[in-house]
Amino acid sequence: MKELIIDAQNKTPREVNQAIKKSAKDYEKIIINNPNAMHYVAAGLTDPVEVVIDGSAGYFAGTMIHGARIHIKGNSGWFPADNMTDGELIIDGSAGDGVGQGIYGGTVVVTRDTGSRTGEIMKNGTIIIGGNSGFMSGLFMMGGRIIVLGDMAEDAGESIIRGVIFVKGKIESLGKNAKVEEIDHEDKKELNELLPAYGFELTPDEYEKFKKIVPQSKRPFYGTDSEDG
Amino acid sequence: MCGIAGVVFKDKKLHGVGKYMTKMLDALQHRGPDSAGFAIYGGLGLNENEYLLNIEVKETPGLLEQVKNRVNTITPIKNEEIIPSVENHIIYRCKIALNSFNELKHLIMDIDEINDVIVLNGSHSFEMIKDIGLVKEIAARYNTPDKQGTHAIGHTRFSTESIVDRYHAHPFQSYIIPDITVVHNGQITNYWKIRDPLERKGHIFETNNDTECIVHYIADKLSEGYKLEEALEQSVKDMDGPFSYIVGIPNGVGIAKDQLGLRPGVLAENDDVFAIASEEVALREVLDTHDIEQLSPGEARAYTI
Repeated sequence: MKELIIDAQNKTPREVNQAIKKSAKDYEKIIINNPNAMHYVAAGLTDPVEVVIDGSAGYFAGTMIHGARIHIKGNSGWFPADNMTDGELIIDGSAGDGVGQGIYGGTVVVTRDTGSRTGEIMKNGTIIIGGNSGFMSGLFMMGGRIIVLGDMAEDAGESIIRGVIFVKGKIESLGKNAKVEEIDHEDKKELNELLPAYGFELTPDEYEKFKKIVPQSKRPFYGTDSEDG
Repeated sequence: MCGIAGVVFKDKKLHGVGKYMTKMLDALQHRGPDSAGFAIYGGLGLNENEYLLNIEVKETPGLLEQVKNRVNTITPIKNEEIIPSVENHIIYRCKIALNSFNELKHLIMDIDEINDVIVLNGSHSFEMIKDIGLVKEIAARYNTPDKQGTHAIGHTRFSTESIVDRYHAHPFQSYIIPDITVVHNGQITNYWKIRDPLERKGHIFETNNDTECIVHYIADKLSEGYKLEEALEQSVKDMDGPFSYIVGIPNGVGIAKDQLGLRPGVLAENDDVFAIASEEVALREVLDTHDIEQLSPGEARAYTI
C-alpha cells in the first residue's frame, strides 16, 4: 500500500488540506501526525483515499467529503462529517455537538459519547454512537438512520420528519413529533449486519433492548390536521 | 465567537499558570483576534490590606503626574510600574493600601473622573492583564508567561456587542465582592432583565457589555451566600441566549453553559489539574489526556481549592 505521512505540526489547516488533496490521487493511505485538535482537517476531500488522523481533530473534521475514509484516533470537536455525501468517518474517542450534521450519505461512527444535536438535519446515511448521545439528537432529521448504543438525552428526535433512531439505552425524553416503537425482525437483522462491521459485538439479548424513534407525522407543522398522527 | 479557558492546579501551590494560560489562549486565537486577557490568581503576594491598580493613561504631557497626585491624595503609592502599550496609551500599575475593600470602588471612580484615564481594575488576590491585540503580543508586553499562580482564567475576544478597547477586553470584574472575574463567549439576550434588578440593588454598571452583567450577577449571588456552583446553576435558569462563560474567584473557577448548548465548553482533569475551555486544543496545552468531557446544555461545573 502506498502511504504518505504528513506532519501537521506548525502547519495551518489550509496547508494540511492542500497537502492531502495534492497526494490523494497518488496514495492509498495518508497519515496525519500531530493534528493537535486542528479544525477542518480533510475538508472537501473527494478522492476515495484512506486518511488516518493520529490524534484528535477540531471542528468540521471531514466536512463535505465524498468517498474518503477517515479514521480519527482521538476525539473530535463540533460537526464532524458535516454535509458528507459519501464515505466514512470513524472517531475512536468522543465528539462534540452536531456529529454528522446534514449528511446525505456515508457512515459516521463515534466510539464514545457525543454532544448535542447528533445527526441534525441529516437526509440520509448512517450515524453510529457507541456511547451516549446528547440533547436534541436527531433534530429535524429528514432521513437516514442513527444508532445509539448508550442513552439519549432530552428531546430525542426533536421535530424528526423522516428517518429512524435506534436506541439501546434510556431515552430521557422525546422531542416534538417523535414517538417510540418496538423494533421488528427486519430491524434486528439490519442492526446485526451493521454493528459488528464497526467492532460493536453485542449479544442476542442486547439486540432485544433496542427500540426505535420515528416521526409521528411526515408533515407536522402546518395546518390543523396532521397527516397521520 | 470568542475563546475562553480556565485552569486550576489542585495542590494549591504556585505553578507557571501564566505560561499555561498563554498557551491555552494562543491555541484559541482563531476564535477572536480583537483583544485578550488573563486573570491570574494566587501569585501577587500582597499584604492583607494591599491592592494592585491597573490604570490606562493616554500619553499626554502631565497626565500621569495628575493620576499619581490623585491616588496619593487618597492613599500613598507604595510602588509603581509603567507598561508601554499601543495606540498612545500606557498602563500605569501601582500598589496601594486601603482600610477596607469597600474603599476600592470609590477610589477607582475618583481616578476615572480624570479625562483620558480609566482604571482597568483593582485587585488583591489576582493579577489582571488585558489589552487589545493578539495573545502572543499581549503576553510579551506584560511578561505573562513568567507569572506564577494557583489558577487562572483567560479570553480571546471576537467583539459582537460593544467596542474594542482595553476596558471591554475580558476578563470583566465586579466589586460587589473581592476579586471576582468573568470571561464569556456568547450573548445574553435578556440583558436588561438581568441588569435592571441588579441596578435597583445599587450595583454600578460601567458599560453596556453583557459580560459585565454576568460578573455582577454572579458576584451578587455569591454575596447572598450562594456557593459558586449554585450561582452558576441559577444563572443558567435566569439568563437567555447562547453563552458559555467562566468565572474566576480567589479559590477556584467555574463554567456555565446555556440551556440549548449553543456555545461550546469542554472539560478535562487529572489528579493535578482541572481545565476548562472552548475547545480541546486548549486543554491539550495543560493536560495529556484522551478523556475530554463535553459540557451538556445547561450544565454548570466548578472546582475550588
